[in-house]
Amino acid sequence: MGIAAAAVGALLAGCGGGPGAGGGKVSNAKIVLGVLTDLSGLYADITGPNAVAAVEMAVEDFKRKYGDKAITDNIEVIKADHQNKPEVASTQARQMYDRQQVDALFDVPTSSAALAVATIAQQSKRLYFNTAAATTELAGKSCNKYTYEWAYDAYMLANGTAANVTRQGGKNWYLVYPDYAFGQDMQAKFATAVEAAGGKVVAKDPTPFPSDDFATFLLKAPGLTPKPDVLGALQAGGDLANLVKQYDQFKLRDKGINLAIGLLFDSDIKAIGAAKLAGTTFTTAWFWNLDDEARAWADRFKKRTGQRPTFDHAADYSAATHYLEAVQKAGTDKAEDVSKQLDGMTFSDFFARNATVRPNDHRVVHDAYLVKVKAPAAASEPEDFTELVEKIPADQAFDQPSPACRMG
Amino acid sequence: MILTLLDRLNRRRAWLRWGLLAAGLLVAFGLPWTLYPPVATDIVCWGLFAVAFDLLLGHAGLLSFGHAAFWGTSAYGTGLIAIHSGVPFYVAVLGGTAAAAMLALPIGYLAVRRSGIYFAMITLAFAQMVYFVTNQWRDVTGGENGLQGIPRTLPGFDLSNSFVFYYAALPVVLLGLLAAWRIVHSPFGRVLAAARENPARVRALGYPADHYKLVIFVISAFLAGLAGGLYAVNHGFASLQEVYWTTSGKVAMMTILGGIGTLWGSLVGAAAIVRLEDWLATAGFEATGLVTGVIFIAVVLIFRRGIWGTITHLLRARAVAPVPQIEPHLEHDHDELQPTPTN
Repeated sequence: MGIAAAAVGALLAGCGGGPGAGGGKVSNAKIVLGVLTDLSGLYADITGPNAVAAVEMAVEDFKRKYGDKAITDNIEVIKADHQNKPEVASTQARQMYDRQQVDALFDVPTSSAALAVATIAQQSKRLYFNTAAATTELAGKSCNKYTYEWAYDAYMLANGTAANVTRQGGKNWYLVYPDYAFGQDMQAKFATAVEAAGGKVVAKDPTPFPSDDFATFLLKAPGLTPKPDVLGALQAGGDLANLVKQYDQFKLRDKGINLAIGLLFDSDIKAIGAAKLAGTTFTTAWFWNLDDEARAWADRFKKRTGQRPTFDHAADYSAATHYLEAVQKAGTDKAEDVSKQLDGMTFSDFFARNATVRPNDHRVVHDAYLVKVKAPAAASEPEDFTELVEKIPADQAFDQPSPACRMG
Repeated sequence: MILTLLDRLNRRRAWLRWGLLAAGLLVAFGLPWTLYPPVATDIVCWGLFAVAFDLLLGHAGLLSFGHAAFWGTSAYGTGLIAIHSGVPFYVAVLGGTAAAAMLALPIGYLAVRRSGIYFAMITLAFAQMVYFVTNQWRDVTGGENGLQGIPRTLPGFDLSNSFVFYYAALPVVLLGLLAAWRIVHSPFGRVLAAARENPARVRALGYPADHYKLVIFVISAFLAGLAGGLYAVNHGFASLQEVYWTTSGKVAMMTILGGIGTLWGSLVGAAAIVRLEDWLATAGFEATGLVTGVIFIAVVLIFRRGIWGTITHLLRARAVAPVPQIEPHLEHDHDELQPTPTN
C-alpha cells in the first residue's frame, strides 16, 4: 500500500508546479515574489516586515512603469517568518517554491538559514536573492547558479573599515571578536586588511558568545604594547551594544583608543545611542542619507512604513526591481532565462552604484561606503545617524571570486 | 454478573485497542496526503523524539533537559556519514544513532545517580558541552553555518521527492515506536515504573535500580538519535539548532502537551507543535513564540494530563462509571505507609 501510494504521489507531485509548467509566458500565469525573513525576532528591525514593504514597493513601481506592456499584471508578494531557524527556513522555502509557486525568494537573514535556502533554490531550480546574510560562503563553497548576493558580505565589512582606518593613521589594532564563524571570518579578514594597509594587529581575543561582560578585554587594551590606536569590535546586535556601553564607561576614547566596528545597523545605533557612538567608523553597503537619489527613495519608504530604510530594505527593493526587469526582458519567468539576463549585467540605481552582477559567482559588486556616526547635534532628524567618510569603489569593495565556487 | 460485565469490558477494550492501532497506522500512512510531505516527515521525526523523551520522563520519572545532545549528535553523525561515505541513508542514520547511544552511556552513567532537578541540570550541562563542541569544531560541523548538503541516498530509489522520502523514513519511525511500546509493556518496563515510584523498595527487592535507569537512558537516547538522524536527512542539513537547549525544551513541551507517560500522547503533542509552527510561519502573526507559549501555559493549567491524557481519562471515566466498585482495596493498602526517604 505504501509503495502504491508513493508511486501515485510521485506522479501527482511531478505534474504540479515545476518551472515553465504553464502554457503562457509566465508559469501559472503569475509572478510570485516571496520574502522569507525574520518577522518577529532578533533581526525584525533590520529586515522584517519592512523588507516585505520594500519588495511590494518594487512591484508597484514596476507595474506603474510598464502598465499594459508589463509581461503580466498578476504579480504577487508573499511572506513567511523563518524565526531564524534554518529548519523552518528550509521547509518554508521548499513550500513557497513548490506550493505557492514562488518564482524568486528575497532577503533571508541568518547565515545558516540563508545557506539552507540556497540549497533549496538549487534543488527547486528557482531564484534566490540574498540581501541579509553576511557569509562569504554563499558566493564561495556553497555558490550555485540560482542564488545571487545582492547587498554585502563579511569581506566588504571587514576590508573597508580595516583598510581605511589604518590608512588614516590607526596603525595598531586590538581585535575582539565573538567566537563563532561570523566573528572568526571577520577577524581573519580584518587582520589581513590591516596588514595589507601597513598596520599591525597588536593582539586579538575571542570573546564568549553571547556575552554581556567585556571588562576583561577592555581593561587589557590600554596596557598592551605598543598601545593600540583602534579597538576593532566585531560583535553584532546585543553583544555589540554591551561592548560599546562598556567601552564608554572605561573611557577608552579618552585614553586614545578609538573604536571601529565590524557590522553596525541603524537599529543598533538607535539601541546604543548615537551620542555614545559618535565618531565611530564602519563600512556599510548603503545609507539612506547618502545623496538626493537615495533620500528620495528613503522619503517614499518612510511615507509608507513610518521608518527610514536600512541597507537591507534598499537592497530588497533593488533586487526585486532588477529581477522583474529581467523577467520582462527575458519574456518568461523561467529561472535559467532570467538568470541569463542578470549575469554580467552592469547597472546603477539608488542602492547599488557602479554595480556588476559577476557571472562566475553571482556576487553583485558595487560601491560601498566608509561612514562614521554623527554626533546627535549634527543630525538633521532623529533617524539621521551616519555621514560619509569615503566611498570605496566597487572593484575594491568586494573580494575576488572565490576559487571554491563552482557553479554546476 | 460482575464477571460477565468485566469480560465484556475487556473485550471492548481489546477492540478499542485494535481500532486505535488501525486508526493510528491509517493516519501515519495517510499523513503526507493531507499535509505538505516535508512537514509530515518532521511530525513523525519529532513524534519519535517525543516518545523517546516520554520513555524517560513518563516511565522512568527522569526529566532530561539535555536530549538535544542525542538528537543533535545523531543529526551531525548521520550527516557526516552520508556526506563522506555515500552509503544508503538507513546506514548513515544507524551510524548517527549509534554515536548518540554511545554518548549517552557516560552521560547517563553520571546523571542517573541523581534525580529530579539535579538530574535535569546534569543532563543540561552535558548537552551544553555538546553544543559548544559542535559550535567550535567548525572544520567538521561547519560551526553556525551548519552542516550543509546531506544527501538522501538509497540505491534504486529517487528520494529527492519528499513524498517518497516520507514512506522511506516511516518504517524506521514505526520500528522505533514499536520498540518503545514493547519496552513499556515488558517486565523491564514494570521494574522501571516501580523504581520511579519507590527506588528504595525496588532496591530492597534485589533490582539494581541505577542500572535500569542507565539502560532506559541509553535506549531513550538511541530512539532520540534515530529521530534526529532521519530529521537531518529530511532537511538535507544539520544546524546548531539541533544541539541547542531550546530543542530539549521543545521536545519536553511536546510530551507535556500530549500527556506525560501516555507514550502516544507525545505523537499528538509533536504533531500539534510542528503544525502550529508551520502554520504560524505564514499566518501573518508576528509573534510565534508568544502564541506557542500561551497555548502551552493554557494546556498545563487546564488540561493537566495533556491532550491524550485528558481524552483517555474522560473515556475511561465514562467506561468505568456504570461498573460498580468491584476492585478490593488490597493493592492500595500500603500507600499510607510512606517508605523511608531515600538519600
